[in-house]
Amino acid sequence: MNAVSPTPTKKYDLSFARWVRDNIDGGDRMNMCMQCGVCSGSCPLSDQMDLGPRKIFMMVRAGMKEAVLKSNSFFQCVSCYNCVVRCPREVPVKYILHGLGRLAIQEGYQDKKDVANARFADAFWWSVTTFGKTDERLVPTLYFFSAGFVEGIKKSLANLKIALGMLKTKRMHIGMPHKTKNRGELKAILEKAVEIQARHEGGA
Amino acid sequence: MGVESQTILVVGGGIAGITAAVEAAETGYEVVLLEKEPSLGGRVTKLNRYFPKLCHPTCGLEINYQRIKKTPRINVMTMSTVAAVSGEKGNFTVSVKRAPRFVNANCTACGECTKATSIEISNDFNYGLDTLKGAYLPHEHAFPMRYVIAPEAIKADGEAIKAACKYDAIDLDDAGETFDLNIGAIIWATGWQPYDANKLTMYGYEMADVINNVEMERLASHDGPTKGKILRPSNGEEPKKIALVQCAGSRDYNHLPYCSRICCLGSLKHAAYIREQYADAEVDIYYIDIRAHDKLESFYVKLKNDPQVNFIKSKPARIEADENGNPVICGEDTISRDVYATPYDLVVLATGMEPSTVCGKPPVEIEEDEYGFLVPKAGEVDGQISAGVASGPLDVSMSVQSATAAALKAIQAVRSNS
Repeated sequence: MNAVSPTPTKKYDLSFARWVRDNIDGGDRMNMCMQCGVCSGSCPLSDQMDLGPRKIFMMVRAGMKEAVLKSNSFFQCVSCYNCVVRCPREVPVKYILHGLGRLAIQEGYQDKKDVANARFADAFWWSVTTFGKTDERLVPTLYFFSAGFVEGIKKSLANLKIALGMLKTKRMHIGMPHKTKNRGELKAILEKAVEIQARHEGGA
Repeated sequence: MGVESQTILVVGGGIAGITAAVEAAETGYEVVLLEKEPSLGGRVTKLNRYFPKLCHPTCGLEINYQRIKKTPRINVMTMSTVAAVSGEKGNFTVSVKRAPRFVNANCTACGECTKATSIEISNDFNYGLDTLKGAYLPHEHAFPMRYVIAPEAIKADGEAIKAACKYDAIDLDDAGETFDLNIGAIIWATGWQPYDANKLTMYGYEMADVINNVEMERLASHDGPTKGKILRPSNGEEPKKIALVQCAGSRDYNHLPYCSRICCLGSLKHAAYIREQYADAEVDIYYIDIRAHDKLESFYVKLKNDPQVNFIKSKPARIEADENGNPVICGEDTISRDVYATPYDLVVLATGMEPSTVCGKPPVEIEEDEYGFLVPKAGEVDGQISAGVASGPLDVSMSVQSATAAALKAIQAVRSNS
């Protein structure tokens, strides 16, 4: 989902709901939402979210693009899928939230430096694409320092005890990062995925 | 080909079946009314009151029973089901299976047989909320007014029961029977059953104080398990804070995708029962939309004006037990966006209606809609018609209308090529 929504700077955009329907994964079922509140009620992080999925869907329909894309709700989601399985209207709530979260960063409504989840995702993705595995040292380090050098030192020191404990129990290794075999194949798979995604967006 | 039979078979002796049978018979047609239970009345006779006027169903049923008694052309067969159907309009051969009642028409409903048995069975009339003796009258307004003996009571105390009866009404050798009827047209009025609340895994139906709406009707009925007093099933105390949860199963693709139509008014009626019995009780109604259509809206407005009845626009996400075992309803209030967790003394799940035929299809080909309701499109041509909730979720008055229409279609069917 790399397509840019038509009016990235407008506060209100009445075509936003239609755009979400056509471009966001699962957005075509958002019009089934009947505002019952089961998604936000089932969500284990609902009380941490400013809006919650139900209200976000209503606001998307109302064209409140800016207010929606400034919400913290997307990045609180832990993908537990409660909302997806409980929704009485089969709206894939989690997918839509993730799509909107990505849009929020892509269009600059939210800055990555304020969104820990997005920075963690970057670190995770870097490790997976580079080694084919998540490295238990590099991913946290990259994530800690993504918020700045001072913050990185602080977070690293705060987690030092855990790291030493993991070393002691052989949950963290010393030496080169572990890598998957045949990383060329992994690269080909990822390239294919990017190609498929581009094709989908081309058709949207 | 001429019509061989003009007899109309009505399958199901609930309000729709009774109405269809009476309407057809009163215009001069022979009618056979089949009912699988020992007495007529179906779901309606288990209701405490009707909405919106809060009158008692016994009144309307009694009028219909009088009409049946005055119409010799209606043949009522209880404890009977359809085993097989063959043939076509005007010439169906319907095989009827009658289960043993062990009591013949000599019965005067004196009740001596009840005293002669010690066997206790689950009381289906009260949805299993209590038990009764194995020799029993189905309920006090039973039609026909005749006792039934459970097979387990016959096995245990058969001779004692027979000895206790002064009217020679006990037939220990009753083994039921299967016989064929020649029928011109069939009206399927097989009705509905409450959606199984155990399937709503997040709604804690296994808790004693979480009940469904049909059980609430029995709790409020004077001949119910609590003699009409609404009490907490867990400890028999008076509930002070009660929640009524709408759309428990209905309007949900995981359960019943359709709106069952009756539950909103049913729950408003339950709120009225509670407020009538307990002046200080508080009732919270959790809803998605209140669907009080047409003239029924005035009943909604009346309840809305009651300061002790609160309407909370939210479909609860789950119902949990607190440390004392009391139900706690959790979810998001969609007006305030607050996430709540509220404890209650009693929770009533407004479970929806599903067609009875989901548990046993009619032994014949008949068109169904995507939810399993019977919707034969050309009943007057094919001789098979559906009536009442067998045809879709309806309230009592709409069921009666649908049954009258079905009676007319059945008459058209049996007359069409005579």
